[in-house]
Order: sequence, then C-alpha cells, then structure tokens
Amino acid sequence: MASSGTRYVIVGASAAGMAAAEAIRATDRSGSVTVFSEEPDLPYFRPLIPFLISGRKSAADMALMGQGPYRGAGIDVRIDSRVDRIDSRAQTVEIHNGERLPYDRLLIATGSSPYIPPEIAGTDTEGVFALRTLADARAAERRVAGTRHAVMLGGGMLNLKASFALLERGLQVTLVVKSPQVLSQLMEPDDAALIRDALNKAGLKIETGAGAVEILSKGRGVSGVLLDDGRTLDCEMVCIGKGVQPNVAGIDPSDIRIDRGVVVDRFTASNAADIFAAGDVAVTFDPITGGRIVTGLWTNAVDMGRCAGYNMAGKPTEYGGTFGILNATQVADVAFVSMGIVHTTGRDYETHAHGSRGAYRKLVFSSDGTRLVGVLLVGDISRAGMYRFLIKEGKPVAKIKSHIIDHTLHYGHFVCPDTGKG
Amino acid sequence: MSEPKEIFVRLDRCMGCHSCELACAVEHSGSKSLYGAISEQPRPKPRVYVESVSKTPVPVVCRHCEDAPCMHACIAGAIRRTEDGVVITQSDRCIGCWTCVMVCPYGVIGRHLEEHKAYRCDRCPDREIPACVGACPTRALVYRSVTDFSRHTRKTASAQMLGTQGG
Amino acid sequence: MAGERDAMSKSTDPAIREMIARAARMEIKTVWDRYEAMRPQCGFGDTGLCCRHCLQGPCRIDPFGEGPAEGICGASADTMVARGLDRAIAAGTAAHSGHAKHLAHTLLKVAKGRTGAYSIKEPGKLRAVAARLNIPVEGRPDNDIALDVANAALADFHEKETPVLWAATVVNPQRAKVLTDLDLVPRGIDHEVSEIMHRTLYGVDADPVNLLLGGLRCGVADLAGCYMATDIADILFGIPTPVVTEANLGTLKAGAVNIALHGHNPLLSDMLVARAHTRNEDAIAAGASGINIVGICCTGNEIMMRHGIPACTHSVSQEMAIVTGALDAMVVDYQCIMPSVASVAECMGTALITTMEIGKIPGARHIAFDEESAVEKADEIFDIAMANFRRRKNKPVDIPNIKTPVVAGFSVEAIVAALSKLDAREPLKPVVDNIVAGNIRGVCLFAGCNNVKVPQDNNFTVIARKLLKENVLVLATGCGAGALMRHGFMDPANTDALCGDGLKAVLRAIGEANGLGGPLPPVLHMGSCVDNSRAVALAVAVANYLGVDTDKLPVVASAAEAVSEKAVSIGAYAVAAGLPTHVGVMLPVLGGPLVTRVLTDKVKDLTGGYFIVDLDPESAAEKLLAAIDERRAGLGLQSPKAS
Repeated sequence: MASSGTRYVIVGASAAGMAAAEAIRATDRSGSVTVFSEEPDLPYFRPLIPFLISGRKSAADMALMGQGPYRGAGIDVRIDSRVDRIDSRAQTVEIHNGERLPYDRLLIATGSSPYIPPEIAGTDTEGVFALRTLADARAAERRVAGTRHAVMLGGGMLNLKASFALLERGLQVTLVVKSPQVLSQLMEPDDAALIRDALNKAGLKIETGAGAVEILSKGRGVSGVLLDDGRTLDCEMVCIGKGVQPNVAGIDPSDIRIDRGVVVDRFTASNAADIFAAGDVAVTFDPITGGRIVTGLWTNAVDMGRCAGYNMAGKPTEYGGTFGILNATQVADVAFVSMGIVHTTGRDYETHAHGSRGAYRKLVFSSDGTRLVGVLLVGDISRAGMYRFLIKEGKPVAKIKSHIIDHTLHYGHFVCPDTGKG
Repeated sequence: MSEPKEIFVRLDRCMGCHSCELACAVEHSGSKSLYGAISEQPRPKPRVYVESVSKTPVPVVCRHCEDAPCMHACIAGAIRRTEDGVVITQSDRCIGCWTCVMVCPYGVIGRHLEEHKAYRCDRCPDREIPACVGACPTRALVYRSVTDFSRHTRKTASAQMLGTQGG
Repeated sequence: MAGERDAMSKSTDPAIREMIARAARMEIKTVWDRYEAMRPQCGFGDTGLCCRHCLQGPCRIDPFGEGPAEGICGASADTMVARGLDRAIAAGTAAHSGHAKHLAHTLLKVAKGRTGAYSIKEPGKLRAVAARLNIPVEGRPDNDIALDVANAALADFHEKETPVLWAATVVNPQRAKVLTDLDLVPRGIDHEVSEIMHRTLYGVDADPVNLLLGGLRCGVADLAGCYMATDIADILFGIPTPVVTEANLGTLKAGAVNIALHGHNPLLSDMLVARAHTRNEDAIAAGASGINIVGICCTGNEIMMRHGIPACTHSVSQEMAIVTGALDAMVVDYQCIMPSVASVAECMGTALITTMEIGKIPGARHIAFDEESAVEKADEIFDIAMANFRRRKNKPVDIPNIKTPVVAGFSVEAIVAALSKLDAREPLKPVVDNIVAGNIRGVCLFAGCNNVKVPQDNNFTVIARKLLKENVLVLATGCGAGALMRHGFMDPANTDALCGDGLKAVLRAIGEANGLGGPLPPVLHMGSCVDNSRAVALAVAVANYLGVDTDKLPVVASAAEAVSEKAVSIGAYAVAAGLPTHVGVMLPVLGGPLVTRVLTDKVKDLTGGYFIVDLDPESAAEKLLAAIDERRAGLGLQSPKAS
C-alpha cells in the first residue's frame, strides 16, 4: 500500500486514464490524483461520439464522471492541459503553459490518434474528418447541414458507426475500402455475408478494392474524392478511418522505451521508475499468441488502466493482456462479436463454421483442438462472454467442445459436470 | 449495516420448472401481473435462465460480480453499481452495442431486440425478495448473505454426515 | 387489525372467519393454509401452457417467447390450451352426466320394481318429460313410462343414430338449428366425453378452433347430463316448491346429533332425510335433542330445495363445518369433497363416511351405498352418528351464532305456478312485460363454486348487489346460491333494501299474489349445479314465448368464483346456449392468444354467447350490465341510464 500523500499524475483523461484514476482512488484514499487532458472537454465516453453526429446523444449525455463506475470523487481533472514533457529523473511533468508538476507515480495514458495516410493528397482540406474527439464530432456534425454525400475512407468499426450516424441524418454515404470487404480486420470475406446484406439493406453504398488518391476541393472545402481507379466521387464530406497510432510525442524514447507504443511489463510498468502506461499508447500482449500488440479499444484501455491504477497505488496486479480483436456491436439490425483469432484462412487452426438464415458463427480452436482461440458470432451473439473467458484463460475445452461448436454452451456446463447420459 | 444478500442456487433442489423465469419476466413487465404481462409488447424478459446439463436443470443468474466486467467494459456508462451492491443496466443510457454481452463470463446479460437494449438481473429493487426466489417452489433459489448461506450449507452437510437425524 | 384484514381476504362470511381463527388456534390446516403453501402457483399451469398428455412431456411453452414456443410434438400454445380446456369440459360433463346416469339406473330399478325404497314421487313430471321425449303416455301406467324414460336416458349416453334427446328436446327450435348447423349436437353423452379424450390425445386434433368446437359440443352434452339429472331427481324425489329455511354454521345444534350431507346426488341424502324422523327417538335416547341434518354443497341444495333442510356451509368452507366440533358425521357421495375433510374430521372426532364406489377417501369410513339396501345403509349411518354423539356430547363445541333466513325452492314449475297467480293463461307474460317495460332490466344466473383465490363469496355478493340495484332479476344455483343465501340474499326481508325499485315492485307483486304477505326473496334459488338446467329451461320458455332465440334474451350468467371443471363445462353450455358468461377467476387459457380471443369474442359470431373473464367483481358487474343492455337494444328495448 502506497503511503498517504502519494502524488499520482495521469497524462490523458480517457478510458485508461480515468479507469486508473478510479482504481487509485479506490485503493489509496489519501493520495492526490491529477489527470491532464489536452482536450477542451471534461472526460467523456469516446465511443459515443458518432451519437453526437446522429443526434441521439448530446455532449452532456456522454460525460464520463458520475456515470457507470466513474464516480470522479477526489480526482482533479485538468482540461486544456497538454503535457509537453516528462522528466523521469526529476519526477515532474511539464504542461504546455510551462507549469511543472511533481509526481510520485506517473501514468502515461495519452491514447492514440487517427492514422492519416500520407499518400492521400488533400487530407487537410476543410470537411475532411478523422473522428477521434468530441471536438471532431462537433465539427463533423456542423458540416452535415451542407452535405449531401459523405465518403468514408476505410471500413473499420469507427467509420461504420460514423456511416450509420450520417445515414440517420439523411445523407448519402459511400464507404471506400481497399480490402475486398468491410470489417476485414474482424472477419474474413466468407464470414461477412450477413453483415454485407445488413449494410446493403441499411442503404450504405460500399466500394471495395478501391482507395483514395486525392481529396478534391473548391469553395467550401471538400468537393470530391479521386479514386485510384480513376473515378471521382462527388461529395461534401470525407471521413478517414484508417486505424490509430499511439500518441508517443513528448516522450523521450531514450528515457522511456518505445516500440510503436510505450513498452510495459506484466504489471503495466515502463522501464522508467514509477512510470506506468496503459491503454492505446501502451504496448500490451495477446494472451493467445503471447505476441506484443497495440490496440485501440475502449474496453481494453479500461481494463489496462484499472490494472495500472492498482499497481501504482501499491496493489500489485498482473495484467492479463488483451486480444488484438475484441469487438461487439450491431450494424443495421445484425449484431456481431469478434474476438481472438478469427482470420484462419491458410493457417493451422481447427475451425468450425456454421451458417443459418439469420445467424453465422465460426469457432476457432488451436490446431490440436484442445483450446478455443477465437470466436466470430453474427446474429446470435448470446452468452459470448463465456467464450471470451475460455479464450483468455486458455482453458482446455475437451469436455464442453461440442457445446461450443453448437453454440449451446451455458454457465451450467461450468457448474455441473456433463455426464453425457441421456 | 447488515451484510448484503445474494441469490444463491441450491442445485440439488431445482426441478427445472422455470417458474423463476416466468416470475422474473412478470416482475419486469409493465403490469407486474402474469395475466397482464402475457400480452404486453414489447415482451417482458426473464433475467434468470434455467439451463440444463444432461437432465440436470441449472438456474443461472447474474452474480453482480465484485469486479463486474460488464460495468467496466460498457462504452456508454450505462452500467453502474447501486448502493446495495447491485449491478444494474440503465436502459436509457444503453446503446445496444452488446459489449457487456461479450464480456460477461456467466452469459447472463440478455438482449432485448425490439428495444435494442441490454437487460439483466436488477435483484428486483421494488421487492424485499427477488421475484425468482419468491417463485421457486422448492426453494432452490434462496436470498441470503454469503455468511448466512455458507453457515446453512455447513449445517446441512454436517446433518447429513451425522446420518440425517430427525428425518 | 391486520389479522382481521387477513381473515377478510379469506372469507367474507363472518361465521367462517370465526372458524378460520378457531382452526388456527387448534393448528388445524385449512384450505387457506394449503393455498398459502402452494403460492406462488406455477405460471405455466396458470396460463394453460403445461401439457402432460403424452409421455414425452411434460412440455411447457414460454409465454414470453424466450423459451420453447411449441411442445415437443409441435403443438402450439393455442393447441395446448385448447386441448386442456377440452379435457376440463369433458371431466365436468362426465361428472354431471355420471350423476344423471346414476339416477337413470335408479329410475330403471324403480320401474322394474327392484327397489322398494324409491318410488315415482312426481308422476306429472314423469309424464311431462316422457311427452317431451316423444314417449307415449296416454293410458299407460307410471312404471311403463318410467321404464321407457329410464331406457331413453341410458341410451343417451352411447353413440346412436338419434341425437342426445336431453339436448335436442330441451332447447328452443332456433337454438336447435344453430347447434345443428355448427355440428354442436352431441351424439351420445359418454361418446362426446370419449371423443374429447380421443381428439386431445397425442397427435390427433391440433387445430385450436376445431378443438374448441369439439369442446362446445361436449358442453352441450353436459347440458344434457344436467338436464337429465334434474328431470329424474324431480321424478323420484319431487319438484321443489318454495320453502322457508336457513343457512350457515348456526344451523348446527350443540345438543343434537348433527349430520352433514355433502356432495351432489340426492339419491342417498334424500333417503337419510326421509328416514331421520324414524331415528329421532334413538337420538333422544342417546342424550340428544334429536337428529339435525344439514347440507353442504349441492347435496345440501337438493335437500334444501325439496325438504327445506338448512344449509350448513358451502364449497371452500366445507372443512369449517367440522371445525365447529359439533358435527357427528359427515356423509359424502361425490364431487367437490376435499380429501382434507378426512384429516380435519380426525382432529375433531367427526365420523367421515364415504358412500360411493368411485369416491373413497383415505381416513374415511366407507359404507357402500346401493338402492337395494338404501334403508339399511341409512340406518347404519345414523347409528355411527349417534355413537359419535355419545362420545362428544359433553365436550365443548364452538358453533358460530350466525345463520340467515332463506326462502328456496324455485324450480321452473314453482316459478310458473307463482306467476300464474298473476296471469293464469300466460304465466310468463308478467315477467316478459316487466322486462319490456324495463322494471326488470335482465336476468343473471349465478352458478359455480367458491374459489380459495377469491375472498369467499365476495365476487358473488359484490356483483349481485350491483345487479339487483340495477333491477336485474337474479337466479342462483349450486354454491353460488350458497354464497348468496349466507349473506341474506334469499331473505325476503332484504328484498326492499337490495333491489332497485322496478325489481322490488315485481317481486312484491308476485309474492303478494301468492299470499306470502311480502315480496319474493331478492335472489331465487333454483337448485344444485345440475339444476342450471332449470335456468336453461326458464330461458328457453321465455325465448319460446317471445319467439326469439336464447342468444337474443337479456340473460347473462356468472360463475364468479369457479373451481370445478364442472363449472367449465357449464360455462361451455351457457356459451353454446348463447349467453354472455362471466368467469371471475382465470381460466387456464391465457397462454393461447387465439383461444383467448375465440372464447371471449369470436365465438359470439357462432353461438351468440361468449366468455367474459374478469377477476374484478365491480367491473365484471359493469360488463354483465353492458351485455344485458346490448341485448335489450337488440330487441329494441330501451335501457335505463347507468346509475
């Protein structure tokens, strides 16, 4: 247990930072917890920003403190405060206005930023968005009024959600993806039939196998997108959703080890004393493969942030890692969950896929068939969490394997041995 | 403050009658009566599930985990813990992203498709005893504190070892 | 006061509340305790969604759509509930007609001179029934006619070329046509019961509407059984005429040999009543003031209607008669006898005597009754009761000092006779004229049981109170009559207070024309549950007089606190006869949306009748009044504004 009066400083006030702050508060009631955010808004649930565009939620509806597990009590959140420099020897952080603040424990939870492909020209044009912050969403929302057609570059979750928000606002929306299908990170082409149908039914136009070369503009900004096949799509708005990259600016790599993101050990500690990292900015590991990964998932960030918080407050807590893929959502009226290893083509896994009218599932086992390593559920996603548990814990599944394959597994199978008798 | 109570399942007593499910759905209906609930739209949903393993019925219900993964995973801040320690889903905040379904290791979070909302056991805040417990004809579901339940379990076990005295 | 409120939730009868408290003090378990222990009751059974018709089951369908939507065989929720309802109707039909068959055998024995204990008490009724059945009566001795009537009755049970005569000949011609067109005329009473068992078997009838129509036909067979039971009981034991008597536990006498007759068939009970005076001296010799026979349930109604025997209590409170400690013997035949009476009787030292081969109860003494040895068996029962009295005579008893005056005995014949004092040529004219004039807004028949789910008698009394104020002529049978009599609804002294002005005037006019020096009682007691046939007979007579079908009459029925499957079959024939029929407890059909819709609405297009299921007596009364007014409007009659 950290001694009373410990000064905790957290850089970044999103999922990892705020989860860490709460975890510290729950463990050490007397230390000071200061969270710096460069954004102008108080912490909010970032995944909700498409709802600001659709109009389903206001910015106030998205506020984080006081909601869910975030009580926010005794946590000093400083907005509009970018941390420019971390001095690990002096144990201080320097705010962009020059203020310096000492820390006893520091968490780097600076998150990630959208990746803007440099090969596309004109990405700085007015009307081009890479939705990341509430401020981005506000700007995009303002642009909706003068927009008839929006072009979305990239077919990941963020762009899909943004697409639906814009469709809800009555816009025509075209999704341009380089791969042969949308959500290629989350499923393989053969697995995506139901999702494709749902997207078509929802009125989303999809251009697969195409990429943007240049964003065209005139007058009020964006006027179209020039594709690599020579076609031009006239539009008034462009959203770029090509993934994210860790925010490591301001971190001295000679001081704190960086490999894409901040490298941490199993207890979320960086190589520098009393400096921890969590969330999108941290390099974590995949418990299935053991490999190092960086992810951009809220749920992972919360998980890791809490873990870091406990460790910082003197309650050693081992981080169990995260899957590179761990997504649940609903597109149009089709729900899906994708987690673990779901890309199996040409790889050595035991795969069981089953499709019916309204549902599809793919269960992926290790090559020896003894462990579950990945699950894709489309349509019927009930009890998906049990699979996550099995994958994460690497449990031997022989006794319940048929239930997994048939998607009939339930908690009773964990409680009560299945004798297999009639 | 007295120790909070939880719903415990005594597996050996469950007859698989599904009465808990019905009572749960009725309690979470508009009319709160079976005769009214039966024709309500959207349909009231049970939040307790009588599963079966071979021929053994196994009631499964939300554990309101101490470290509730659903609550921390929720991307909308819709899941919180009440002062009574009950983890609840606030329907008005739920966006139907199903992240909670993806992380619940017990598989006890339901999806209301018509409403596009997740739902789960709320331990019946309007009742002294949760509806499922009250409806159980064999008392396979009991509502007790952890201490109370384990004490009782020990007593039963020792009574059995002593040779079922007193019938 | 929570205790009193709790007691009120069990029974609105103060005598019964006293006994509930006594039972609690004595730690005797009652029906209310068992009900509490049973709660909550299974929702699947409650909604009819539990099926045990085959060995693959039990199956249950989830009414909320999460679990199974059909049985293992594929039966839908509607199929399941329709099958279940049909079987209830068949069971009720089997019971009423079993009672009737029993009487038909007795009539046959009388006709053949095989029993000296019974005789034809009512040759006029015998001849009237024979004439209705097209059996020649002119110049034939009673026994010959009785032989033909008994044989015709027994023939009505099996499938034969002709329709069931007790169905086909008892309805008005228009109704006969409706029933024929819908194929609702039964071909044999037992046959219809058997057909229900067949069609509801695993893998036969899965069409919910077809099943319901089959159920309705069985319901018409139930009418036949009821009607036959009434006819033959009247022939053998007499047509009821108005009698003055009393009801409730206060009719038990601490110093007398108290014998309660409980069940349904008058066969044994009438004999015991007839023999009682021959044993009175023995009772006095045993230290008693005499023999005091009281009735419970419909056996009680039979002997009250014909002999003015007081009613001790009814239906759900049957155990309470024993709890008084004053009952020396309870003699039962069949139907509505809770097996629990055996343990209560054991606690209280009451001799429980079963008498029927099909109705034995563990813990009871069985005296096999038959017509040939009826007198000896009756004497044996008296001996047991007197021996028991000797044992208990110096022990304290607790008889609530509560009883109400009752005027009963309103058979159709008695009503017509009373009306003929107003108009000898057209006795129904005064009633019909008053209906037309609005002095009588309509007619409601209360029937059925007391259900533990309802505070005893509350639904009956709340609805009757409202309807009487609205000038609805109220008839009652079975334990519905029992409920109303114990609350003073059959006491002419209450007519003025309970009835609206129009009805009051009519009841007074009839009473005075008959030299009663006052009005008829507010509610007319028409007999036991089989005697619902009397209400049908009255409705048919009025329909014939007016030349309209029964579904046009402003006549409704209510089984406000139904329990028995017999109430379900009676409800089925009331609906088949075209009556709006209220049921005050939930029928186990709610799980089948189509079946529910058909029973409460669509069937109206077929028979004109329909079920009104409403658990709230206040709103049920409103619905019954609305149904009456709708029918008045159909006849071009104005309805008074709702008050």
